[in-house]
Amino acid sequence: MTFVRQLLGELHKLFARKRTYIGYVVFLVFEALLLGLWVHVGQAQFEDLAKRNFVPVELLSSSLTATYWIMGFSMFLLGSIYFALVAGDIVAKETEDGNMRMVLARPVSRLRILVLKYLAVIIYTITFVIFVGVTGYSMALFAMGSEGGLFIWNPDMYILAIYPDRDEAFWRLFIGACFMGLSMCVVSSLGFFFSCLKIKPAAASVMALSVFFIDFVLQNIPFLANYKDVFITYRMANWVYVLQEQIPWDRIVESYAILGGLNVSLFILGWMVFQSRDFKT
Amino acid sequence: MLEIRNLTKKFAGKDALKGISFEVERGEIHGLLGHNGAGKSTTLGIILSMVAAGSGEVLIDGVSVQKHPREALQKVGSIFEAPAFYDYMSGWENLKVLVGLSGRFDQAAAREVVERVGLTDRIKSKVGAYSHGMRQRLALAQALLPEPEILLLDEPTDGLDPEGIKWFRDFILGLREERGMTVLFNSHLLSEVEQMCDRVSIIRAGELVYEGAVHDLRDDRPGLILRAAPDEVLAEVVARFQGEVMPGGRRVFPEGTKVSEVVSQLVKSGAEVSEVTPVRRSLEDVYLEHSSATQS
Repeated sequence: MTFVRQLLGELHKLFARKRTYIGYVVFLVFEALLLGLWVHVGQAQFEDLAKRNFVPVELLSSSLTATYWIMGFSMFLLGSIYFALVAGDIVAKETEDGNMRMVLARPVSRLRILVLKYLAVIIYTITFVIFVGVTGYSMALFAMGSEGGLFIWNPDMYILAIYPDRDEAFWRLFIGACFMGLSMCVVSSLGFFFSCLKIKPAAASVMALSVFFIDFVLQNIPFLANYKDVFITYRMANWVYVLQEQIPWDRIVESYAILGGLNVSLFILGWMVFQSRDFKT
Repeated sequence: MLEIRNLTKKFAGKDALKGISFEVERGEIHGLLGHNGAGKSTTLGIILSMVAAGSGEVLIDGVSVQKHPREALQKVGSIFEAPAFYDYMSGWENLKVLVGLSGRFDQAAAREVVERVGLTDRIKSKVGAYSHGMRQRLALAQALLPEPEILLLDEPTDGLDPEGIKWFRDFILGLREERGMTVLFNSHLLSEVEQMCDRVSIIRAGELVYEGAVHDLRDDRPGLILRAAPDEVLAEVVARFQGEVMPGGRRVFPEGTKVSEVVSQLVKSGAEVSEVTPVRRSLEDVYLEHSSATQS
């Protein structure tokens, strides 16, 4: 019970900040922008592609398909930056501001302090991804109506899937969003790890983003195509396999086991550094 | 209540503490004095388990901070210079979050403490809008929850106005009076230490150079600012009375020495006496003497 109360306290610290909500507002604006681009530019191009491939156009013009594109782009472009910022702050900012000394003066272990902070970041990350999914879908519903199924075309992951049945499409997308949330936890874990080091909060965020984007760039270099499996960002993108007609659960389980192991390793490394640090004025 | 045993610590290969040991008895207010960088904050950091000791041990009521930090810190409340709260949260929310880390947050006890530190009217306001004095009162409130037996105060009156300092001093003395609270008080304000503390420890360059009761420091040996010419005669007469020259030109004589006899001898020896001012040896004098003695 004490642990739950302490976790609620940690979440309260996170959500009591005004700037936390600035992120939500920025995402809403970004989603609206992406939706506008999809409706006015992207959709026409994809409809042409669909016609040439004998895919029913109404699948492309659906709110679910639009939600898929909005979620994918907004999470990759803005989500990674945003989660790195929040997670990079979680320990380093408190250390920089002096709050950490007030916390450490309490009869609570450093491990527990970090577990509370890490869980708060993970809860925040997953709920944020779901928020983006829900708001993206709501906007798409408002703009495009509730008709139509789901059309998935992702050449990088070799996925082409068509779901004329709206219910199945909805649930696949929902489960996909949950897995995407788990994937984004890796960015948060990277930010958290760097936040535990003796560096400024901004430096922790920059380091996490650097690792993320360098990994992404390397993953997309053609001569490294055969080694995609070793890249974090490739494993993170495995959430889209939930949208494949025959879901390759073995591949999904393998990827998320690797990502889970990476998260745990980053936490343990962060804890080891944090545990050995001296906190002094 | 608090035992510091042979603490050592190095930062980047440089000795910050060189085997410091002292004790604070239950119900005692103990002052920790020293220049900037002397090792006071490092000592407090080790007591609070924020800094790892190179060697040595800290015992709080017999429990080792190094071996059982959680158990040992259950009895400790602490206040830092310029306490850092979450400015975007209210005073009450800050208390809830911080005290919650120690276990249950007892609202009735918290209300009582808040009233006692005089923050009831502003406790729901954001801490960002608090004055320095109000922050310090909030720091005191969080330190007193839940029911510590020992308070560690790191420069708690720095930046407070004279009224604030007096309020703080009276509050701490009141706590000792009512609850028998043990206090370790780290301050640069020697007058504060002199007025509040029963005992002091003076640290210089990581070494303990003095530990003892405050009243022992204030010795009643006659001290004089004595000016006379020529200097050789003055020095000879002072030496004849076994006087010592202290920093600042103050001359201290053994107990029972009559000032009138010293002056009379000076006149008889042909010296021209221009100033005879009796002075009491303050804690600051003692502090400076110990600091410079070690330095030399």
